[in-house]
Amino acid sequence: MASDNPIASRKVVVHLRATGDAPILKQAKFKIAGTDKFSKVIDFLRRQLHKETLFVYVNSAFSPSPDQLVNDLYDNFGIDGKLVVNYACSMAWG
Amino acid sequence: MVSNNATCDGSLLSTDFQIAAKAFAEKWKKFNSDFPEWLWIDCSNRLGFAAHGVSDGYLSVQNVFFKVQSSLKEEHGECSSNDYEEPFDNATLVQSAGDDGHRYDFHIVYSFSYNVPVLYFRAHSCDGQLLNQDEIEKNLPTESAKVLTESKWTFITQQEHPYLNRPWYTLHPCGTSEWMKLLLANENSTAENRVEQYLISWFSVVGQVFGLKLPLDMVKSDG
Repeated sequence: MASDNPIASRKVVVHLRATGDAPILKQAKFKIAGTDKFSKVIDFLRRQLHKETLFVYVNSAFSPSPDQLVNDLYDNFGIDGKLVVNYACSMAWG
Repeated sequence: MVSNNATCDGSLLSTDFQIAAKAFAEKWKKFNSDFPEWLWIDCSNRLGFAAHGVSDGYLSVQNVFFKVQSSLKEEHGECSSNDYEEPFDNATLVQSAGDDGHRYDFHIVYSFSYNVPVLYFRAHSCDGQLLNQDEIEKNLPTESAKVLTESKWTFITQQEHPYLNRPWYTLHPCGTSEWMKLLLANENSTAENRVEQYLISWFSVVGQVFGLKLPLDMVKSDG
């Protein structure tokens, strides 16, 4: 739907918000190319927090697939010019 | 109809499960129409529940096609046996001939022990043979395969399907309410909303194990 917009070079502000006992980042906001995949956000968090298993979710509603485009997430769930991404340190199945 | 604190602790009431299931199946059909439909399998009579007016059942989707990785062939629609000559040295090919893809059946079953939905699944190759866990592992995205090696006994295990009484694979439900609590923390949503949104949020996590994506339109609560 949004394919005719000149968004190819757009940068999206991602606001990383800790939940539960997850540590807060020194720099909670950063810019990322909209054409990047969500996995880039997850990898960034992993590196910053030195944790392999993270639970990363958007809008207190769902956990985006790693290959989802940041642009698509922003277009659907962006608020006030930024995409809020929540993270928690525990993600256990069993 | 929908109870007040149904989902605040991340769990789902058994009486709300069917409401959540219907909402999920309807949205899925609307926004994910190129994928097979989820159907409600009614089992109300199973334990004499019908007499009490309590409906019982589970959601089911059958024959979800997974392409086997490194498969060079195009999908033929049905399995073709490889009876024509090919200029390949068979000794160097790892994949067996006719290995066009695997088909998965997924069931979303309510767990009365954990008060959360649980995904049951099984997979078969195109000749109908059931796949074992090693073969299933090869179909999973690398991320899931990694989780599987790290937590072998607390991720995917085989269990008796509560309605079919046969061994099916299942994703462990112990941690479900913990991460569901986070996904339901949206203060703006009502109890009704939360029940209708429950399985959608849940599947956004569970589907990733198999690389299944939810369309974003489906996730948007006003969609």
